[in-house]
Amino acid sequence: MNTDTHSTAYAIRVRGLRRTYGQGASAYEAVRGVDLDVPTGTITALLGTNGAGKTSTLEVIEGLAAPTAGAVRVLGLDPVADRAAVRRRVGVLLQKSGFSGDLTVRETLRLWHGTLSDPRPVEEMIERLDLAHRADTRMLSLSGGETRRVDLACTLMGNPEVVVLDEPTTGLDPESRRDVWRLVEELRDAGSTVLITTHYLDEAEALADRLEIMHGGEIVRSGTATEIAAGHPSQISFDQLPDDSAPRDVLAVTQVRHDRGRTTLETSDLQTSLAHLLAWAERHDVRFGGLDAHSPSLETVFLSIADGRDPRPDQAPQPGADQPTPAATDQPATTREEILR
Amino acid sequence: MSTATTAPNPSKPSTSRAPSFSPQRMLHLARWNAVLLGRNKLSLLYAVVLPLAPLALLLAGDQGDESIGAQAATTMLLVTVLFPVYYNVLSQFVSRRDELVLKRMRTGETRDAELLVGIALPGVVIAAGIMVVGVIAAWAAGQMLPVVPLLLAAGVLLALVMFAAFAYWTAAWTRSAESAQMTSLPIILIASVGPLGAAMTNLPDVVSQVIERTPGAAMGELIRVAWFGLDGVTATESTLSTADAWSAAGSPLLVMAAWTLLAVGLAQHSMRWEPRS
Repeated sequence: MNTDTHSTAYAIRVRGLRRTYGQGASAYEAVRGVDLDVPTGTITALLGTNGAGKTSTLEVIEGLAAPTAGAVRVLGLDPVADRAAVRRRVGVLLQKSGFSGDLTVRETLRLWHGTLSDPRPVEEMIERLDLAHRADTRMLSLSGGETRRVDLACTLMGNPEVVVLDEPTTGLDPESRRDVWRLVEELRDAGSTVLITTHYLDEAEALADRLEIMHGGEIVRSGTATEIAAGHPSQISFDQLPDDSAPRDVLAVTQVRHDRGRTTLETSDLQTSLAHLLAWAERHDVRFGGLDAHSPSLETVFLSIADGRDPRPDQAPQPGADQPTPAATDQPATTREEILR
Repeated sequence: MSTATTAPNPSKPSTSRAPSFSPQRMLHLARWNAVLLGRNKLSLLYAVVLPLAPLALLLAGDQGDESIGAQAATTMLLVTVLFPVYYNVLSQFVSRRDELVLKRMRTGETRDAELLVGIALPGVVIAAGIMVVGVIAAWAAGQMLPVVPLLLAAGVLLALVMFAAFAYWTAAWTRSAESAQMTSLPIILIASVGPLGAAMTNLPDVVSQVIERTPGAAMGELIRVAWFGLDGVTATESTLSTADAWSAAGSPLLVMAAWTLLAVGLAQHSMRWEPRS
């Protein structure tokens, strides 16, 4: 297997990553064997509830922490051992970071500018992140959204090939969120690779080429939103009928739940179940209040994972035809040794 | 936001290794740290005004008396390493760490050593400047010029490195910029006990010997030898030649070098870049 092809096909490769905090009885394993491939030139979203291990995973990719076990390659290089070579090609946005409040926006960007080996001009970044009207304002007077834009300007100033963004839109108003996502799309369109975490599933579904869902320190689902939802049950729900008189043998229904006055049916074949149910209602002259039916969505899968119900489909979704790189389609799982070459 | 984007530069070297320490980047960081120091009036007061206060002792004492001059100069060196360097570096580092500024910087190309030297450098430059001003002011007030300027400069430099390293070690167990007021006390005491002990007579021998080996006592001895040419702790008149001064400085320099190694080792093994969660 040609390792050069590999490092070109995948900007980021992670194998068997583990991270343990603390020692002895109080040790806590936040990342429990993560495998992750981020194809070059794509947007990959890492999703998961708080505490799923997303930031702990990113910190190793960013080279801020060494893995307890496993291997990470960014652009084919080790983020810790090849620090200098990796850093000049990678832009990082931390979930939480800070700036000296006594410096202005422009001064903050000039400070960052002087630390980079091949930076874009400060004024260009001010323009690009829409900070011109705040350029001479001290950082401590900025709003959260403005501070985030300065942060992003630093991330992108080095013209990075790989961009790692940890919750870039959290705490932003809807308009700023849209701006950030447009920027992320522009980065991909210009050839950069983006790995991003977010709590906004709709955004991730709309903009990311690939999704990776983390739970309990592991990646439990990978693929496009359609692939991830595939194999998951559709849902029909309605206000609970008096005397709970709903039929118990609706075709294709796999599970019936009653919760807070609602009855929810999970079905492997939405159309069949719905037709059967509605025919029954017609015969018995029953009217369903608040009738709702929907195909599996990223959100239903995500919530079921977060709740620990985790209705894992019979087979894990396979990499589909929409894999962006030819090398990716026919590759079996790559081992740790192979990414280490 | 603008829609214009630029493609990553494909000609960027992918395998070339940058040097592990860039003096240029360190000086760039030091310059901005100096700007920030200048914008915080309280820090500036501690870093510049306070260390100049012992000059008054030099000017007020019996001008021309070497032992009084040596005491005032020792106090000045002590205050200079403790405030512009030790306390300033400690509080700057801790507040930058708490504000997550350091964490942000470490995601970029900046190396840890560049950050550390960049934070310490403004205080070190201020301290060195104060010592130069002190020598000139003392001379103007009728004191002698240093017998061996090079020896004095080497000793001062060693002291500056030592206290910068102590600042980073102290930062490791300092929770916030406010608590630095408490956590800085042990080092301030260890540094001050020598010059204080010098004023006390009738101490048991064992205690005197221990005090002699504290950094402050060694710094005082170095000032007496390298600046005033005083031979021994009780001498009151300048008698040492240049060559004698070098050999007499061996013992205090050794003590200072040992403390510096200890401070650097402690700092290296306890470095903490993020606030405790």
